Amino acid sequence: MTKRQSGKPEDPRGESPLDYKKHGDGINDPKLVLDEKPLFGGVLGTELSRRTLLKVGALAAFSGAASLSSMRGWADKKFDPVVRIGYLPITDAAALLVAHEMGFLKKQGLDSERPTLVRGWSQIVEAFQAHKFNLVHLLNPIPVWMRYNNKFPVKITAWDHTNGSAIVVGAQTGIQSFKDFGGKQLAVPFWYSNHNIIAQMLLRDAGITPVIRPQDAKLGPKECNLLVLAPPDMPPALAAKKIDAYIVAEPFNALGEIKAGAKMLRFTGDVWKGHPCCVVAMHEADVMDPARAAWTQGIHNAIVEAQLYMAENRKATAQLLSKDGKNYLPFPFEVIDRAMNFYDPAYYKNPLAIKHVEWHQSRINFQAWPYESATKVVTEELKKVVLTGDRAFMDKLSADFVAKDLVNYGFIRKSLQNNPKWRDDLSVPQTGDPYNRIEVIEV
Amino acid sequence: MNAVAAPAGALAFLRQKSPGARRFFFGIVGLAAFFAVWELGTLLLQFNPATRTFATFGPVPTLEAFPLLWGEGKIQAAVAASGYRMGAGLLIAIAIGVPIGIVMGRVKRFREMSNSPFQFLRMISPLAWMPLAVIVYPEWDQAIIFLIAIAAVWPVMFATAAGLAKVDPAWFKVARNLGARTVHMLTQVILPAITFDVLTGIRLALGVAWIVLVPAELLGVTSGLGYAIKDARETLSYNHLTAMVLVIGLIGWLLDAVCVALIKRYSWHHRGNH
Amino acid sequence: MSTSATATINETPRLMKSTGQGLFNFAAGLSILFALWWIGIELISRSSTTAYFASFGPVPTLRAMAMLWHGGLIQSAVWASGYRLGTGLLIAIAIGVPIGILMGRIQIFRELSNSPFQLMRMISPLSWEPIAVIVFAGWNEAIIFLIAIAAVWPVMFATAAGLAKVDPNWFKVARNLGASRRHVLTQIIVPAITFDVLTGIRLALGVAWIVLVPAEFFGVTSGLGYTIEDAREGLNYDQLMAMVLVIGAIGYMLDSLFVQLIKRYSWHRQT
Repeated sequence: MTKRQSGKPEDPRGESPLDYKKHGDGINDPKLVLDEKPLFGGVLGTELSRRTLLKVGALAAFSGAASLSSMRGWADKKFDPVVRIGYLPITDAAALLVAHEMGFLKKQGLDSERPTLVRGWSQIVEAFQAHKFNLVHLLNPIPVWMRYNNKFPVKITAWDHTNGSAIVVGAQTGIQSFKDFGGKQLAVPFWYSNHNIIAQMLLRDAGITPVIRPQDAKLGPKECNLLVLAPPDMPPALAAKKIDAYIVAEPFNALGEIKAGAKMLRFTGDVWKGHPCCVVAMHEADVMDPARAAWTQGIHNAIVEAQLYMAENRKATAQLLSKDGKNYLPFPFEVIDRAMNFYDPAYYKNPLAIKHVEWHQSRINFQAWPYESATKVVTEELKKVVLTGDRAFMDKLSADFVAKDLVNYGFIRKSLQNNPKWRDDLSVPQTGDPYNRIEVIEV
Repeated sequence: MNAVAAPAGALAFLRQKSPGARRFFFGIVGLAAFFAVWELGTLLLQFNPATRTFATFGPVPTLEAFPLLWGEGKIQAAVAASGYRMGAGLLIAIAIGVPIGIVMGRVKRFREMSNSPFQFLRMISPLAWMPLAVIVYPEWDQAIIFLIAIAAVWPVMFATAAGLAKVDPAWFKVARNLGARTVHMLTQVILPAITFDVLTGIRLALGVAWIVLVPAELLGVTSGLGYAIKDARETLSYNHLTAMVLVIGLIGWLLDAVCVALIKRYSWHHRGNH
Repeated sequence: MSTSATATINETPRLMKSTGQGLFNFAAGLSILFALWWIGIELISRSSTTAYFASFGPVPTLRAMAMLWHGGLIQSAVWASGYRLGTGLLIAIAIGVPIGILMGRIQIFRELSNSPFQLMRMISPLSWEPIAVIVFAGWNEAIIFLIAIAAVWPVMFATAAGLAKVDPNWFKVARNLGASRRHVLTQIIVPAITFDVLTGIRLALGVAWIVLVPAEFFGVTSGLGYTIEDAREGLNYDQLMAMVLVIGAIGYMLDSLFVQLIKRYSWHRQT
């Protein structure tokens, strides 16, 4: 673990920015130090960055510009009291959308704008980094890259939902199980996603090796080729037999079933009980600054209440989010309803998409506690999965460190303690400590 | 005094020496100015704490990324994959655009009838073509080549037609009087006359094709410059993104220089332009 | 008077004939396209799995267009995108034409600017997106920036190319006749290059449409690109094609406008 070097010449104030007594929860945990050089953002941390500092210093001196003392990493994000939510048009965003739309944020005394629709993960990340949003949902691995590859001060503060994804196969592919994936083409929506992780877990379990090759490359009998497609392009690609299967968040599985003759192979929540997919992410400043604690707490209270509301009022939620309702998602009610609620084991028996009926999960669940064990699994898997991006930075990261450093547990814990009904979700341990569980992954 | 006279003297010296050296010199100076402005912008980003995370867009991190990406073979692989798609797409665009442009220029009827459908078609954004391309073409590469070709064909077509429009009709009359058949008309009159405009059209098509490459390579491929840019963006490795963008810029620059050389060689307008 | 009357009488049938001809050509061209479209989609949606994609066809498209028009979606989309496109193009012209003229007239500028401009014009607008998000506070401004940065290059290079084709003797003659700088600009340069500039703007329009759809991926709530993406996400291909038709129609009208301008202002009386 790298410790921050206090008293560096770059920090003119001389105090260590991460003073646990002042800014944290009072617990001195050496694992909570951040290997961040606040003055040099994402520069690769070489000698060159010092030279740049000198240049900047010269510039500042000559132009008599604003004080260097305001350069303090996460603390530089100005407080914006209005909650600005950014979201992608998938059912995963439901918790944040409902928190605003049903007035749960207002109930907490918080002012919020109607959530802003953005169409791509990159766009939402960039807008978040440019401080245009202060509350977003992101695919679980994305904050890992943001915090450790790009050194951006972000924190995961809760889970936005669990489950909510599935693998569908083309009608004429004849695929009945993962053993049949040899020589096939499987599309994922994003390399840095739990979809990719789960898909590869399932393939490896069936003895198939995931590879990334050109479309016309020869595949061994036990190799499955992976590629990335935008979710709206997946149903056409499946129908045109360009891909044999795809794994994606709802409602694109539902759409595939309805419009492209796709057959449901397996629900991801039936493989990994209550797995994370999208997480709630906020700026580190909003999370660590004690002056904003009440505001952040209010947000999490609203999220939990929204989730509990949705668990009881699924159909009403589907109606609210759809084109026929408040038009948050560009889909009609039937599609969202199917995507959220249709989880009938009798219907999905060939192939058997729901094997663990006793888990009592749904097509999508709204459970917010970010289990450490799950974060550890995700981190470990991210080191193993096949993908094309830059991953070298992960070599230095241990799963324990990420679970403690990337995720903030304080606010969501308090919100959950005030709303004991969250434990009704059966992916939460029903006996003993509900805040710690062992991940159940059974293919 | 000497310091002032020296640059002036150097310029005069260059002017007398080969124009190639002169162009090279100015090319370097132009690039240096570009990098300076880029670095300035990056400093501004770095200076403002709210935008510091985007400082990896700067020239220094970008140049640092080059040896890394080259060593991993990523640049070469991306160039090969995209080069194939771009090349095929542009060749198709030329093979279709030039003949149709000539017909448009010569045959009034065709020009008037084809105007409306062509104007319609050329306004369709590649992203709107995508679902259709996905269904129609059995291979991703083909779909991408289609998207590039359909975007690039219009500049070539219209430039060809425009070039033909500027040809003095008297020439055709003279050629016919001198007994030229259609073949002669084509090779001796039309082609040389329009070369300048066709090559200008190709230069423009090149620019459009690069624009389309990035969204086009969203289509299920896992290689190529557009794909690499997307991957870099998704991993927030912004210096990798800019490195790839620079690679595209360099290749585009080279190709454009080739076009310019061709213009000089084959065109009737012997003007010493860029 | 009688001669002008006779002239008018002779002109009218000719005018009517040429207008009629124009309309016929317009309709004929589009009908052929329509027919090809119909056949194409029929062929594609043959297989049972692709049967759904019949909604790409002309009939579903027209139905969807009616529905979208009733819902006011088309109007609001045109308004929102029109504003962004128009502003972006205006900026592109305001920057591109002067720089193009400079490039054409001043050799040093041309030689210095060549390499950076060649580099920059190959940068896909999507790569500019992160910068657009950082620099501009509003989504509209970011989108306008993306459109402008994509559209400026065709305008700039077309202007420079147009200037390059001007016979240098004209400038000498003009100077001999005592023309001031401003006269040279307004009486020689601008008329001579109008044809090429307008051609450049026509091309810029095409490029701008390409950029508009991904540009409207940002947090806007209306627009042609936005509506197309909405349709694409919901797999409502009839709505997608309806918006594509709308864009085609608008683009066609704008392009015709430019052609008229070319006819009116250019020295080359062609097309």
